[in-house]
Amino acid sequence: MSAGLATPASAAPLLSVRDLRTSFRTDSGCARAVDGVSFSLRTGETVCIVGESGCGKTALALSLLRLLPPTATIAPGSSVEFEGRDLMALDASGWRAVRGARIGMVFQDAMTALDPVIRVGDQVAEVVRIHTPAIAPGAAWARAVDLLTLTGIPGPADRAHQYPHELSGGMRQRVMLAIALAMHPALLIADEPTTALDITVQAQILALLGELQRQLGMAILFITHDLGVAAALADRVIVMYAGEVVESAPAELFFAEPHHPYATGLLRALPDLSHPGDRLAVIPGAVPSATDWPRGCRFRERCAFAWSRCEAEHPPLYAISAGHESRCHLAAEPGRRVVTAASTA
Amino acid sequence: MAGLAVVVAVVVVALVAPLIAPYDAVAQLGIDTLKSRPPSLAHPFGTDPLSRDVLSRVLLGSRVSLAVAALSVLTATTLGTVYGAVAGYAGGRVDDLLMRGVDAALSIPRVLLLITVLALWGHVSAAVLIVVIGCTGWLSVSRLVRSEVLGLRSRDWVTAARALGATPARTLFRHILPNALSPVIVSATLGVANVILLEAGLSFLGLGVQPPEPSWGNVMQDGADQIRALWWMSVFPGLAILITVMAVNVVGDGLRAAADPRRRHVA
Repeated sequence: MSAGLATPASAAPLLSVRDLRTSFRTDSGCARAVDGVSFSLRTGETVCIVGESGCGKTALALSLLRLLPPTATIAPGSSVEFEGRDLMALDASGWRAVRGARIGMVFQDAMTALDPVIRVGDQVAEVVRIHTPAIAPGAAWARAVDLLTLTGIPGPADRAHQYPHELSGGMRQRVMLAIALAMHPALLIADEPTTALDITVQAQILALLGELQRQLGMAILFITHDLGVAAALADRVIVMYAGEVVESAPAELFFAEPHHPYATGLLRALPDLSHPGDRLAVIPGAVPSATDWPRGCRFRERCAFAWSRCEAEHPPLYAISAGHESRCHLAAEPGRRVVTAASTA
Repeated sequence: MAGLAVVVAVVVVALVAPLIAPYDAVAQLGIDTLKSRPPSLAHPFGTDPLSRDVLSRVLLGSRVSLAVAALSVLTATTLGTVYGAVAGYAGGRVDDLLMRGVDAALSIPRVLLLITVLALWGHVSAAVLIVVIGCTGWLSVSRLVRSEVLGLRSRDWVTAARALGATPARTLFRHILPNALSPVIVSATLGVANVILLEAGLSFLGLGVQPPEPSWGNVMQDGADQIRALWWMSVFPGLAILITVMAVNVVGDGLRAAADPRRRHVA
């Protein structure tokens, strides 16, 4: 690629998603799981996508790599640019050169995401061999053992000969990481990689992820429902609700001054260890169905602040401050937050 | 385990049959003095109306029967696996088209088809028999493999294989098929037992292996018209078929139990 034509790497984002819309055909109609999502990611940056089950997080991750089931379609207006290339225009062989090489993916459950009948060393070596066809089998195996060492698996040379069911959950997730990182991707997509692990192993994996990111200089798109994990990792937090981005902010700003009532609700629902015995705050209700998003604001039925405007008008992403956006009419009428808070107190 | 021991013994006997057979299986030992003799010390299974030693013919016949069974099942399993895997993995219209073809082919009675084809063929060698039985036996294998692949293709590790840049062919043949193999092995084992019976039946009807080359089916046929007088002509090859088929079926059932985790504790 010519350096003269491309914009300087520091200015152009690594990944730029514009108006991504993914829908699934279901028996009860068309489910608009990802409904106009836009965000971007710079080299070396960590963005956490946060939201509860059913908000479209996983559909978003699968859309970025085109790993959707055949019932899914991505709307024509959607645009995903990665390293200056339009991913939506890639053909099958173009995708194979991106997947596993430039973008690595770590799945939620390492037990089910590793092939049960292939030794883990061979599974790591496979990605090396796919993307470097000329490599000798012995060299690919040696590389696999190096990668398992990198991800901190004890006794990697022996572990490489074992099958997934012989490894613990944490070790399997390390194998997944070794596979995802094998070709030094510019972007790592991690879809709830620690959800299936117990809390101490989760902390180890997150620390390892941060360490590897520093070593390899990659960007991470981290998908989670756990705000604690987001706080530990994120440079930027993006909150998704009902297929849309509802709030996007730099991490410190998000945790200090969350704006959207859904985001504040999520933060209040975290257990507070300084007041043990308190009832946990909850957000009433559940995410509406993706086949039939409510009119106006999609959060309005669960929102303490909702008023007539929220039903009449679908809120745009309001700019709150530099780099901080919120999809809530309170941004236009901030006085209402105080009034409602006073009347419910 | 007993079944496996019997199968191994039968295979070993078939392999060394020319060495342990007491006589030349196709030689007429004395058409005047030694025809249609009942079992004796010199001829434990008796002799046939052409004065050939029945023990030697049963021993040599095992080679044809087992080779035809093993190779035709291998042919059928290979064809059926590839066909079913492609149908299951491709899905959609390709799957519909391929599987309706199988449905149509399965509605043709296999034995009648075999009889017609073999009757039209003229001289039938073991190789012809393997091809014909193999090419009519893959249909049910393809159904089995298709349903396995259909169940496996939505697994996370299949998505993961695609996520690391694997081609569809690699995903299918390196990741999905090895995971679908155990029911295929079980069905192939049981298939061997079926084909031993099928080959015996066809040879008995004169459509299989042609005399003087012996197979279990045509040895029985040689004495069939005088079954009351020449009982040993039917009983000994019949016992060989019975024991072999039973042993193979026991092994097949054992494999099925081993492959099915829900039955592991029962077995």
